[in-house]
Amino acid sequence: MLIWLLSDYDHRKHLAFKSLLGRFSAAYPDVHAEFAVKSRKSLWESLFAHLRDPKRNPLADVIEIPQNWTELFSRLGLLSDLASSLEALAQRRYPDFIFKELLRHDEARAYSAPWWLEAPALYYRPQALKGAVTDPEKELASWDGFRAALDRIRPPSRKGNFRALSVPGSSGSVSVADVLPRVWGRRGGLFSDDFNRATFNREETVGGVEDWLELAVSGKIELFNGDHFETGPQPAEDCAFMISSRKLPGAGRAGLKMLPYPGYPSGGGLMLVYNLAISSATQDHGSAAAFVAWAMEPRNAASFAESFGVFPCLKPVFEERLKEERETGVYRRLFSAPELMPNIMVYPTAELLLERVLWNLSLKIARRDYEREDLTREMIMAQGEADYLLSLY
Amino acid sequence: MLKKKGIEPGAGKASYDGRDSFMKAALEAVTAQFTLEAASFYEYDEKSGLLRLRLRHASGVSFEHEENLRPAPGSAAARALETLEAASSKGLGGSFLYSPFRFDYCDPSGGRGVVPCFGLVRLERSPRKRGFTKAEGARADAYLRSYLRDYYKAEFFSLNRKYEKNVSAITELTEVFATALRVRDSFKHILSGIQTYFGFDRVRLYLIDEKNRKLKGELSADIRGQIKSIAYEEIPLEAGAHRFADIVLGRSSGAFMERYKDCVLYMPLAVQGVTIGLLIVDNLLSQQRIEPQELAMLKSFGGQIALAVDNSRLFDKVEELSLYDELTKLPLRRYFNQRFQEEFYRAERFKQPLAMIWADIDFFKEVNDTYGHQIGDKVLKEAGRVILSNLRKIDFPCRYGGDEIIILLPQATGLEAQRLAQRLSSELAELRIPVPFSSAKELRVTMSIGVSTFPQDASTMDALLEKADDALYWVKSHGRGKIALYSDVAEEKKKAEAAGGTTNATAK
Repeated sequence: MLIWLLSDYDHRKHLAFKSLLGRFSAAYPDVHAEFAVKSRKSLWESLFAHLRDPKRNPLADVIEIPQNWTELFSRLGLLSDLASSLEALAQRRYPDFIFKELLRHDEARAYSAPWWLEAPALYYRPQALKGAVTDPEKELASWDGFRAALDRIRPPSRKGNFRALSVPGSSGSVSVADVLPRVWGRRGGLFSDDFNRATFNREETVGGVEDWLELAVSGKIELFNGDHFETGPQPAEDCAFMISSRKLPGAGRAGLKMLPYPGYPSGGGLMLVYNLAISSATQDHGSAAAFVAWAMEPRNAASFAESFGVFPCLKPVFEERLKEERETGVYRRLFSAPELMPNIMVYPTAELLLERVLWNLSLKIARRDYEREDLTREMIMAQGEADYLLSLY
Repeated sequence: MLKKKGIEPGAGKASYDGRDSFMKAALEAVTAQFTLEAASFYEYDEKSGLLRLRLRHASGVSFEHEENLRPAPGSAAARALETLEAASSKGLGGSFLYSPFRFDYCDPSGGRGVVPCFGLVRLERSPRKRGFTKAEGARADAYLRSYLRDYYKAEFFSLNRKYEKNVSAITELTEVFATALRVRDSFKHILSGIQTYFGFDRVRLYLIDEKNRKLKGELSADIRGQIKSIAYEEIPLEAGAHRFADIVLGRSSGAFMERYKDCVLYMPLAVQGVTIGLLIVDNLLSQQRIEPQELAMLKSFGGQIALAVDNSRLFDKVEELSLYDELTKLPLRRYFNQRFQEEFYRAERFKQPLAMIWADIDFFKEVNDTYGHQIGDKVLKEAGRVILSNLRKIDFPCRYGGDEIIILLPQATGLEAQRLAQRLSSELAELRIPVPFSSAKELRVTMSIGVSTFPQDASTMDALLEKADDALYWVKSHGRGKIALYSDVAEEKKKAEAAGGTTNATAK
């Protein structure tokens, strides 16, 4: 049995999975299981490669996917229905906001099982905000407040590598994962509420993208930065702010505090959910189903998620974990009005269109020849492409 | 020398399992050999000046990750890329060794170009461990270089596999397009053939309807090979009406199309300089680039595809002309014979009833003689219209010859056939055929109809025809304009014979 795991900037996830699989193998000695870690792009390519030429490009038996890829790949016939075979799904042991999106199109079928989730939040180091922010809770609630604070931060004299804002996990360019929380915060989105047309060019959407690009243009975040490549990972204390969707290891010791993502009027936040799916082409459905069921057992789901600072999706474990959190109050606010990316067929492709826009603009920003019209032009083009897609699918 | 020290890499097997297996094997081996924390494989894009992570191996796990970065000017990595010699650095995060590689190889598909492969492997040690000495750096670099010779083979091997696939596509697609003429659903075969060998997200076929100046959707095949009709798509063939129309009309497609060029191919289909349709292949859902060699190959098939599409359209037209009567739009006797056999076997096999109606327009010869063939043709045309508008989908009518019409009614009993015959008869009787030059100004016609059924009246095809004809003959000899079931006729005959009379009379 082969499992495809989505890669993560945090290597702890891969190690946690290796350990999880080790324990599974001990519990099921007859099942030979191995795994490969694929980037999002490479996973996407592998799934389509299978569709194009199944013999030359076999699928793994179990696949980790972003939840909002479920509708697309189930419609393309790559995923098995787990609704009745997986107890956690049959018993509906997931928070309603996750379930609602997963079963958007068909209440009776579920082609993937929610596994873990993360919520982007703002971390800050009170020590570094001295003289720049007096009331973080209040001043950092809005994007403008956060942005103004970034301008006021001054690096401590002895720190050569200090940055006002750090975004761990950045791939180098501005990415969809970076901008979407801000787009959501402005109440923008890639499609209208009825999903009949694309809204890339809506003021709220463009504004959200622009807010993040502006951080790059003004040098608050550095694109394609080779620093960590040259010197290794940057210690957390070398920055004043950090935007991360993970519980940071040693955050307490480093004096880091947490707030909801700035500029979210509802007080909630965008959640990213990752699911396990079983390939419809698997020759060993029994082992694949056994693994997914085993991974969804409360103890296993909890320990896996805990090991790289995310939340398990399983409701009892999720709630227990929420209670135990040091920053319970902030998480409760984040989860008070959770929003998920829509699980509709064309959404993953729309994300790719936006990703291409952001890549083109990132290159321009890095070359210092970016202008505001570039964003407008790119978003108009992407909107046209997304609308065309909607007409086809 | 390397072999002596026991560090000759064993990349042979991995190199033929594909590029990813090769990289994984190389990184695992170098990590173990030089006691590293991690090793990463980067490709370098000279145009953007970015290093792109392909694979990383750390703590016993290999993983892909999206990472694009620009080495700082003057850094060890930048030096390595510039000089193509290994360079090392040491910082708070640990010690690093950058081993660059660069080679070009010929495009095995026969192209004149070379495929460049440029990048570096980054070796890492934690700050707690010793850094890379010069000698050790040289050894690690040599180790990786010997591995990379196999990488060259891996790349060449994977391109060669693509080339082989293309050759088989050329051979088999040519056959598909050539045989497309002889199959009923040739468009499906053409689209399936393209999907089998190219595997696009979607292939769509549009054909020009010259009469209505429209581009009409025909079929669409998706990435799973499922084919559906797109007959609901109709695009006016006018400049500016739609970008497909513009393409067919040879107009400029604008900046928007420029953006699509990597993942969509619009291929106008032309035969002898006349555009007959448009084939569109796209990877819009996956947003994956269509390989240039695939585009080139599909374009080279363009002429054949156009010819196959045009041939099958002509073939259908010829077939339609030879199977259907142009005047009544009813199938001809040749087609009927084939269908009759099929329906009869089906009725026998599934033990279902099969009824046959044999109809004849009364005094049709007189109509022709009195009013001329033009009026006779009008009568036949109207009769055809009435019949076609009253049948179920499974019923099969036929112009059997002259004014004789036969209708096969699968799964229908004699009574059901009689009801249909009654409806046809009434509707026909209500018709008024205008005859401007006659004193009555219009003509009214009636039909005589005989009905037989399987298995009640006959157990063979010939017998079924014969009994329907008998019933019709009986009507004609008993005043015309009526309907007779063979079972009733047989009963009447028996009675008449018993009474010593005769049933025969002159009909036509």
